[in-house]
Amino acid sequence: MNTPVNTPLSAPLIEVRDLQVTYRTDKVATRPVDGVSFAINPREVVGLIGDAGSGKSTTALALLGLARPPGRITGGQIRFDGRDLLTLPDTDLRDIRGRDIGIIVQNPRASLNPMLRVGRQIGFAYQAHNPATEAEARKQAVEMLRMVGINDPERRAEAFAHELSGGMAQRALIAMALSSRPKLLIADEPTSGLDVTIQAQFLDQMWQTVQETGSAILLITQELGVIANYCDRVLVLHDGRIVEDAPVRQFFDAPAHPYSQEVLGLRRSADAAAPVREGTAAPLVTLDALTKHFPLRGSDKVVQAVDKVTLTIGKGEAVGLVGESGSGKTTVGRCLLQLVPPTSGRIAFAGSDITALPPTEMRALREKMQIVFQDPFDSLNPRWTLAQILAEPLKIHAPASAAAHRTRAAEALRLVDLDPALLDRRPRGLGASTLQRVNIARALILNPEFVVLDEPTSVLAPRARTSLIGLLARLQAELGISFLFISHDLTTVRYLCQRVAVMYLGQIVEQGTVEQVFNNPRHPYSQALLSAHLFPDPTWRRVDHPVREALQGEIPSPIDVPKGCYLASRCPHAVDACRAVPQVLEPLADGRNLRCARVVKGEV
Amino acid sequence: MLLRSISRRLLIGLIQLLGLTIAVFFLIRLLPADPVSRLVGMNASEQAYAQAQAQLGLDKPVLEQLALYLGLMPGTQPGLLQGSLGISWVTNSPVTSEIAAYLPVTLELITLAFLLAFVVAVPVGMLSALNPGGRADKGVFVYSLFAGSQPEFWWGLLFVYVFFFQLGVAPAPLGRLSPMTSPPEWVTGFILIDTLIAGQPAKFVEALHHLMMPVFTLGFVLSGPIIKMVRQNMVRALQSDFVLYANCVGLPRKRVARYALRAAMAPSMTLIGILYGFMLSGAVLVESVFSLGGIGQYAIRSVLAFDYPAIQGVVLVITAISLLVYLALDLIHAAIDPRIAH
Repeated sequence: MNTPVNTPLSAPLIEVRDLQVTYRTDKVATRPVDGVSFAINPREVVGLIGDAGSGKSTTALALLGLARPPGRITGGQIRFDGRDLLTLPDTDLRDIRGRDIGIIVQNPRASLNPMLRVGRQIGFAYQAHNPATEAEARKQAVEMLRMVGINDPERRAEAFAHELSGGMAQRALIAMALSSRPKLLIADEPTSGLDVTIQAQFLDQMWQTVQETGSAILLITQELGVIANYCDRVLVLHDGRIVEDAPVRQFFDAPAHPYSQEVLGLRRSADAAAPVREGTAAPLVTLDALTKHFPLRGSDKVVQAVDKVTLTIGKGEAVGLVGESGSGKTTVGRCLLQLVPPTSGRIAFAGSDITALPPTEMRALREKMQIVFQDPFDSLNPRWTLAQILAEPLKIHAPASAAAHRTRAAEALRLVDLDPALLDRRPRGLGASTLQRVNIARALILNPEFVVLDEPTSVLAPRARTSLIGLLARLQAELGISFLFISHDLTTVRYLCQRVAVMYLGQIVEQGTVEQVFNNPRHPYSQALLSAHLFPDPTWRRVDHPVREALQGEIPSPIDVPKGCYLASRCPHAVDACRAVPQVLEPLADGRNLRCARVVKGEV
Repeated sequence: MLLRSISRRLLIGLIQLLGLTIAVFFLIRLLPADPVSRLVGMNASEQAYAQAQAQLGLDKPVLEQLALYLGLMPGTQPGLLQGSLGISWVTNSPVTSEIAAYLPVTLELITLAFLLAFVVAVPVGMLSALNPGGRADKGVFVYSLFAGSQPEFWWGLLFVYVFFFQLGVAPAPLGRLSPMTSPPEWVTGFILIDTLIAGQPAKFVEALHHLMMPVFTLGFVLSGPIIKMVRQNMVRALQSDFVLYANCVGLPRKRVARYALRAAMAPSMTLIGILYGFMLSGAVLVESVFSLGGIGQYAIRSVLAFDYPAIQGVVLVITAISLLVYLALDLIHAAIDPRIAH
């Protein structure tokens, strides 16, 4: 159960020395990997962390002697099994790839051959390194699929890549990577795009599998939580070089490199002084039984995206809305701003009902309520300069001279810690983090009272995420704006919000203060969600203690919702009554709301 | 499932054909041309003109002409619904039988040329993509520089000059058989098949010999775009994530190449289909050089003579064949790439 956190004293499995990868396009050469050196020991789980573009994926491929064209490995040594992989002939290298070093890449669906059945592909990978007949390879493929936790592997082996969900494709890729029991597994962001509950299941499984087969892992990720919970040692890649190589606890306790310190900054300040403020009594936004159904084309059925959500956001309060993808969080945010009309229910802003407002009045009201979207690239017009982008809301709501608008735009940029010199730049070439700040500046330029933040940090690298969250916390404290913070990242929500609502399948299942929900979740779903979340804390590692509260099975379809409790099919505490009786959101004595009759009655 | 989608496609094809027939019917009659005077001559008497006009049915209202052509007026003359494409105004013989005589020549020529081009172009394109800058790739560059920049009839003439006149390995470009040989009994119109049916292997060889040069010429010209397409698609496939991953798991080079080729073939098939439809009438220059009376020549003759039924017949038949070819290629495409849902 316990793995040595400190590295064992044995010969390293793989030793990389001064690795260089160069991209040469039209006389311009860039070097995303510029002198990387590190070693991995047998049975060790090593995390590799770094910003987007820091060369993580390029390093991963280079360990196999590969580079994405037009890149080339231009220098260095990779010693594996006493040989230098970079000087081996092609056929010998091919023997090592897949047999001794397996890799799981990002974007699993595109990495599977779209024209071959998954089982056959896994079979090919197996046959490439093991003497096996077609039938044996097939049997092995099914066996591998079963091992990575795919239900009904015989049937799944017959599927094509496009018929698999992202998580399923990821598992198929793992099955292929592990089919020859490699000594080293390279996992390049193996859980990007997966939901938290699935991510945890999946990493547990990978960790378990590797422990059973006695391999080592190089785990590339941007998530500190993943590092803290699964890795023995951390490598930090910055500008194409390893800038820090430390055991995981040492990394979290005393990061040496300035970059590492920056990445870990949020966590440390969160420990020091999380912004705890009382939500003021005056409610600003009130949702009353908000419901949104999307009709299904060619059918009289509906997708029940939001089901009677009741929520209050006080003046100056930040409320987190958490849940897995498909739980209806985003739809709540959009209905709230009347970007999509709700099917039924009431939305009140500053005491007045806005659901039936005429379009002109609604437009005037938008000055007070703004939104920041998830994708910073798509939400900015690429042809406009930042000055034009920021002045657009002013033109509608606060007409004034162009010079006055420009001054306001410059102020807005300063507010989000950007240089006003950027005003004449266009979005192209500015990083995701800068663009997201521009989005926030645009949302704030009209001095709104309320802002919906829809996963504003999910596409950002860890360092950018940390600083953006710091910015949001500062803005909320300085400007007293109310936030609805929609996110699946519980670490962020915990840091930024005073209250939190947990959504499952369109319903709020639990709602309370951050302390209540995070420290003592009562609803079985909240418990599962929190236990699946990987908090960046290496002292309480997920792999070192047995995990409770795991959910079984998959989320039911929002088209045919269960009759009783929506969670009943996955809940460890479900009894017959749960399946028959719809659950209602009931207030508890401590002020929170809960949608679980058994917990309310004290049976669980 | 498959059968249903095929029959649906065929049904849609029929509707398309009907629409096209009606459109072409009106479009021809919009031409600023007088087919009657073309037939009777400029100096014919008014009476003769009127008689000819009545004979061709051009004196009737246009809608009645259309109904007649479609065969919606029973008891008058057989129309489209009865399987007749009408009577040619120039030759007075049924258009159906004329097309049956001309079409197989073209089909035989271009089908063989496409087979040749396919067999040569796919491996060449693949090799040049696998080793960019290698020998095959350089060869492709030189070839496309020459083949792509010269018209096909010029190549035809050049090949006739070299292989017939200089080397003497090819027969004179005078048709499908030498003028002294009597053609085999007409069964399918495909001379290679008809000679076999008639049990005349000597004539089969002779026909093959005569087809050699035109097929080679057309194949030579057709290979260019196919090689380029295969090469380009293959290069793209080789850079795709799944090929990279196939390398990551250490699949043998051959298997990886096969992965990429299959991915490259799917889009290449589309080009081949379009080229085939185009070549039905586009092969006319090569046919002329080798004195093969194909459907292209029939089409040109009909257009120049304002032979309305013949023009309509050619358009209809070529479209029908193109639609069938597209259907067949879509089926092949779906067999290569399972993502194409029926």
